[in-house]
Amino acid sequence: MKTSGLRYLAGALVVLLGMWAGLKFHAVHRASEATVAVPAGVASAPDPKENVALEAAAPPVVPARLPDFSLTDMSGKSTSIAEWSGKSLVINFWATWCAPCRREIPLLKTLSADWAGRDLTVIGVAVDYVDKVRQFAEQFKIEYPVLIGEQDALEVAAKFGMASPAFPFTVFTDRRGEVVALFVGELHRPQADFILSEVQNLNQERIALPEARRAIAAGLEAMAAKKAG
Amino acid sequence: MSRGWRPYAAATKVPAMKRSVGAVSLALLLVFLLGPAGGAQAKPWWMRGIDSNETDFLPPDVAFRVSARIDGNVVKVRWVIADGYYLYRQKFEVRAESPDLLIAAPQLPTGTLKTDPYMGTQQVYTQQVEAIVPYSRIDAGAHPLQIKVTYQGCAEAGLCYPPITKVVFPTVGSATVVTSEPPYPWESTAIIGGAAAFLLAGLVLRKGRKLDMPV
Repeated sequence: MKTSGLRYLAGALVVLLGMWAGLKFHAVHRASEATVAVPAGVASAPDPKENVALEAAAPPVVPARLPDFSLTDMSGKSTSIAEWSGKSLVINFWATWCAPCRREIPLLKTLSADWAGRDLTVIGVAVDYVDKVRQFAEQFKIEYPVLIGEQDALEVAAKFGMASPAFPFTVFTDRRGEVVALFVGELHRPQADFILSEVQNLNQERIALPEARRAIAAGLEAMAAKKAG
Repeated sequence: MSRGWRPYAAATKVPAMKRSVGAVSLALLLVFLLGPAGGAQAKPWWMRGIDSNETDFLPPDVAFRVSARIDGNVVKVRWVIADGYYLYRQKFEVRAESPDLLIAAPQLPTGTLKTDPYMGTQQVYTQQVEAIVPYSRIDAGAHPLQIKVTYQGCAEAGLCYPPITKVVFPTVGSATVVTSEPPYPWESTAIIGGAAAFLLAGLVLRKGRKLDMPV
């Protein structure tokens, strides 16, 4: 009796192992496919398999804390995001071929200027070619730090749960490096001000992180409803 | 899958303890199977944010639906574009994917002009667009006809998708068709692996039992 029970368990384990191996293999394969993808915004496009694989897979998770990453800056120097540790960050993922990304630039410049010297830094992450970004940054007089990458920047986007990204998207962190919000789509001044006010509340410990996230979600929803109505 | 287990357990009149072990295994299996699948369908990536900080943007394959059909000596590739979304005319690309296929430059209708202060004026398509692609085949159709299309678009609400490339298999005749991705090599491996795992499980479980085989 006992041995039959064990056999059942052993059988179940073998099946589970088989399924686990299948899923694992799928995940590994998907990861290797993703590395083949061409950077966004170029004439030859990312592999379509990537999109499909993502839709079939479990949804990627927005990290609770700012992940560590390094990309080259405008001068070609490798720069770690840790360089700004201890500051609240507004990390804006964008590309020069993307119209809403371009439209956001003046707002980001204003935010950067308004918050200068107040422990908040705006950082651009351009998923694009260096030459194009340099030319654009010069033309639009971008003064806040911009990190640039192609495949490596796509990998950074994936670290934020945006493995098959659409642009722009903006990540807000508090000074402890906790990810407070990830805003997908074109950011406008009222939304940015609202999220940053919650970041300030967090920094001054007037509010806890889950509370801040809930407040941001509710506030953004109300703003969207107001706009739609 | 669970059906295969249940009658077997019932037919062999397993004692209570065995049944409970079987039930636990079954439950484990179900949890294992349904857990990740349910999670994946609950909230796709483009709709989730932190907590309920969600966005309402459509996934690219829903915003832009592509299909293709053969009409005489042309392939008609059609995109149906969701309300509030658009495709850039200058970003369209059509290439032959089958080795024996020769295609001419696609004919695209004139788009509507869209002016963006930060992007300039560009032709875009909304609602739907059809590209007419003249083609000829060197070996009279020994290979299935495959065309690779690239397109790029955005949502009016302020989101742009990177260029999307798809291989389409145009069919002869009216409307319907299939756009498809190349098959995944892992699929067959996963199926064979799963089958092997079940076979192994079956072997483990039948040990000590006689098979009811005809003599």
